[in-house]
Amino acid sequence: MIKSLPTVVATLLAHYRRHPGQLAMLLLGLWVASALWSGIQAINATARDSYARADAMFDTQLDQLERRDGAPITRAEYHALRQAGLPVSPMLEGEIVTQDGTRLTLIGIDPLTLANDNPLAQADTSRSLTDFLTPPWQTRAAPDVLTTTTTLANGKSLPPLALAPALPPDTLVMDIAAAAQLLESGEEITRLVAARGTLNEAPTGLTLTRATRIATPGQLTESFHLNLTALGLLAWVVGLFIVQAALGLALEQRLGMLRTLRVLGVSGRSLVLALSLELLLLGLIGAAAGIASGVWLARLLLPDVAATLGSLYDAGVGRELNLPWHYWVGGLAVSLGGLLLAGGGVLWRAARLNMLELGQMQAWRSGYRRQLMLMSTGGALAVGVAVALYVWLRFQPPGDGLVAGFALVAALLLASALWLPPLLALALKVLTHLARRRPLVHWALADMQLQLPKISLAMMALLIALATNLGVGSMVGGFRLTFLEWLDQRLVAPLYLNAPAEQYADIDAWLADRPDVSERLLTRRSEALLESIITPDVSRALGTPIELYGITPGESLIPHWPLLANQQDREAAWAAFDHGAAFVNEQLATAENLSPGDQLNLRAPGVYETLTIAATYPDYGNPSGQILMASPQLAARFDAPPSSMGVVLHPNADVDALREALNERFGLGSDALSDQREIKRVATDIFERTFTITRALNVLTLVVAALALLASLLAQARSRRQQLAPLWAIGVPRAQLAQLSLVQLGGAALVTGLLALPLGIAITWGLVAIINVAAFGWRLPLYLFPWEMAVTLATAIAVALLSAALPALRFWRASPRTLLAEEANQ
Amino acid sequence: MLELHQVHKTYTTPQGALKVLDDVSLRLAPGQSLALMGESGSGKSTLLHLAAGLDLPDQGSINLSGQNVATLAEPARAKLRREQLGLVFQQFHLVPSLRVIDNLRLQARLASRDDTEWTAYLIARLGLEGLEKRYPEQLSGGQQQRLAIGRALAPRPSLLLADEPTGNLDETTAGEVLELLLSLVHETQCALLVVTHSPKVAAPLDRCLRLRHGKLINTAI
Ligand SMILES: Nc1ncnc2c1ncn2[C@@H]1O[C@H](COP(=O)(O)OP(=O)(O)OP(=O)(O)O)[C@@H](O)[C@H]1O
Ligand SMILES: [Mg+2]
Repeated sequence: MIKSLPTVVATLLAHYRRHPGQLAMLLLGLWVASALWSGIQAINATARDSYARADAMFDTQLDQLERRDGAPITRAEYHALRQAGLPVSPMLEGEIVTQDGTRLTLIGIDPLTLANDNPLAQADTSRSLTDFLTPPWQTRAAPDVLTTTTTLANGKSLPPLALAPALPPDTLVMDIAAAAQLLESGEEITRLVAARGTLNEAPTGLTLTRATRIATPGQLTESFHLNLTALGLLAWVVGLFIVQAALGLALEQRLGMLRTLRVLGVSGRSLVLALSLELLLLGLIGAAAGIASGVWLARLLLPDVAATLGSLYDAGVGRELNLPWHYWVGGLAVSLGGLLLAGGGVLWRAARLNMLELGQMQAWRSGYRRQLMLMSTGGALAVGVAVALYVWLRFQPPGDGLVAGFALVAALLLASALWLPPLLALALKVLTHLARRRPLVHWALADMQLQLPKISLAMMALLIALATNLGVGSMVGGFRLTFLEWLDQRLVAPLYLNAPAEQYADIDAWLADRPDVSERLLTRRSEALLESIITPDVSRALGTPIELYGITPGESLIPHWPLLANQQDREAAWAAFDHGAAFVNEQLATAENLSPGDQLNLRAPGVYETLTIAATYPDYGNPSGQILMASPQLAARFDAPPSSMGVVLHPNADVDALREALNERFGLGSDALSDQREIKRVATDIFERTFTITRALNVLTLVVAALALLASLLAQARSRRQQLAPLWAIGVPRAQLAQLSLVQLGGAALVTGLLALPLGIAITWGLVAIINVAAFGWRLPLYLFPWEMAVTLATAIAVALLSAALPALRFWRASPRTLLAEEANQ
Repeated sequence: MLELHQVHKTYTTPQGALKVLDDVSLRLAPGQSLALMGESGSGKSTLLHLAAGLDLPDQGSINLSGQNVATLAEPARAKLRREQLGLVFQQFHLVPSLRVIDNLRLQARLASRDDTEWTAYLIARLGLEGLEKRYPEQLSGGQQQRLAIGRALAPRPSLLLADEPTGNLDETTAGEVLELLLSLVHETQCALLVVTHSPKVAAPLDRCLRLRHGKLINTAI
């Protein structure tokens, strides 16, 4: 048995020499599936590695002290605290730019006062502490930073580099004296740190942030990566559709050969073994090519992903791929596993091959009917799962069930994909019956029924790709509309002013006297501990840190500021707000299940306050909870420093004159006063970048589905010509036959596209109503875009026509002789 | 009815030019029947394909019902085929996606000559009653060829071209099918050109021609 194996495998592979198109299609499917999957996993792995290192930094067991007004701490203040016996250590943080334009975060530490077990202080280097502490000092950096030049844009150069793999990407650590020189920070210190728990309370004028309260990017970005993974999985599934189609076809055409081999004395078991060997061989080639191009793709997409994660979650992600060993093994396993999944059916059929089975076409016709039954049942099961998940989600608190949400969308996709072929078959059956009087149409429809099994997998892939494209497209489009509207509502003042905290009082007084200024909207920021929540039913202890934000409710702000829920009406809510009630953002309301009327107990150094919630408001783009209060209230009750000021001008006021006057009077830099439009532009920019990868992956999936269709049409082009030749012989012109095949496929694609519309809407719904709420804590309104739907339909038809064009053109241009040859060869 | 005048046909093969038909001329009057014999590879099928307008000659004219097939455009040739010709092949060439009854009526409907009575008669004569709802692959070889003959005769063509119509059948079935073919041709008054290896097939026909080295030779059977 083993001896004959090479011969059997060689005979099997010989098939692909006659049909290189099938081999190409098989490898294409494998390549695409593993390329997209491994590309996304490479991005995820790199990002996770970055988070892990950042986590190690944040999780340094350090409490942080910063000035309440946001200004830097001076060396003198530090020494005073040290002399008072507080175990604090200075830390300097700033940004430097190298000669080639790379921006790096520079952290200066004092290893002598920093707790010994601290990762920052150790950072895995072998050199002695003296090297670090004394000139020419030492720069500790992770390997991914070391490639950049050591000369800075301002001409200074970094101290000698030392390897510290545990540091986050784009971060340099050195002695605080060296850092102060590079950053030209003089007497200033960014913050003071202390070993966790060594400080009981913050010294006056400073805020204390406990180590555990510093949010790590890992949790926040998890949903983003889940999103990417889901898209990668989608691409993988679509790729496997191609593989399955190619394998099915290759088996179909080799049935005769397999039977002959069996008759010649090859056992069923060695046949299956040989087929498995063939699969393994092809799988290894496809997976290797896929992983290589996946890494290439990841390298291409990583800068955008890094920018997105940086702007959305403040998470630093390296721009260089950093792949652990298990990434490579995992990629290979997933590719081969997929191949096994797609090829399992083929192996099973080969094992049960009947040597005497002659009425091939007949067996196959009833076989397909059985397959349609199976598909319908499978589709019904998937719908059942979807309904069960939906019901389950209804009983969950909102904001839970991210994975269940994705599973629900996946179940819907699966159900629709499985129902597509039975639906098409039914439609064709009915139409064939109706078209009895039009012989050519009748033939075209009947013929389509026969073609259906061969193209249905590609059509399923197309359906999935179209629906996700529409679904994600509508979600992004709706998000965009909502986000822009929300920006308009939030940014009511045309100008925004940023100044040192202590200057605001003077600026405010000065602006009040100017005739061209109609309103001043001072905002304040502070932090507190949300100790507990009191709702009508229960009171719950929490202990989470929360941001407090103060706004100035006035003429220009109140009418625009969006509210989601309030107790009675908007007026009452704002009146309560003025008198000390709070608004909470949607994220917080969702996460803690809060509604207007509930009460919050807040603790800050020396403060204990109870606030009543008057309303909830949308707060897109903010990863965490927030409590909103009127600025004067926040100042009075939490001693919150000012953070910015919106300036509303009278119509026809001269903005430039005001800018100049402000600059002259208070010595503010040119960037202290920012135009509302500029802020919006930056925000919109960030928004667009966030969805770059999503869009790119979506388009790629669609391209893959189109390729699947093209591949399956090309693979059966030969047998198609054999079926068309007799029609041509009895007098149907070739051009007409070519046109008919275009119409056939275009029609099938139209049905697929029509089915993709409701499915796409369902996906949008799943995204905005379940997945977004769970991932980000906000719910978006469901927007539908007729234009996007028209584009989806047009895409479906265009994809079908494009893939059908090549075989149709070939048929149309075939010389009569070739057609005759096909006839003779049948 | 059918007239070939000084027809030449050469194929280009990897081994060089292969002259298959060399100055061939032939006449077939309406209602007449003709057997075309010759060794394998002598060019019989080529001649038949040219007569049907499935391929074009290098030289010479082919007249079918007063039109020169060699100069007609493809759509016109297709129209001529579906309205004037019936074709029967050794390999049956039925349309796998259509049921028996739809296969039978296909060409007639394409030619807008569908005649229910005539179809019913053909079904009865061909012994296909009760099989109308089946698909071609659910028929025996003899039944499939009878169906192919029915499809060719359904539009009442003026010329029936058959390329070894019984070559794929066993001897008894071949005899039955041939008998049926001849009697139906006789009933419909249509001209007949049959390519065959078998003297038994050629015997009942009006004339018999033999192809050898690209030339036509008149022979007695
Ligand atoms: N498309 C083609 N290209 C090149 N040569 C061809 C082509 N078609 C047929 N031939 C050659 O032309 C010659 C005549 O072929 P044709 O099919 O007409 O023979 P035939 O008399 O029908 O033979 P048979 O009795 O075996 O069917 C053969 O030698 C064949 O090899
Ligand atoms: Mg022949």
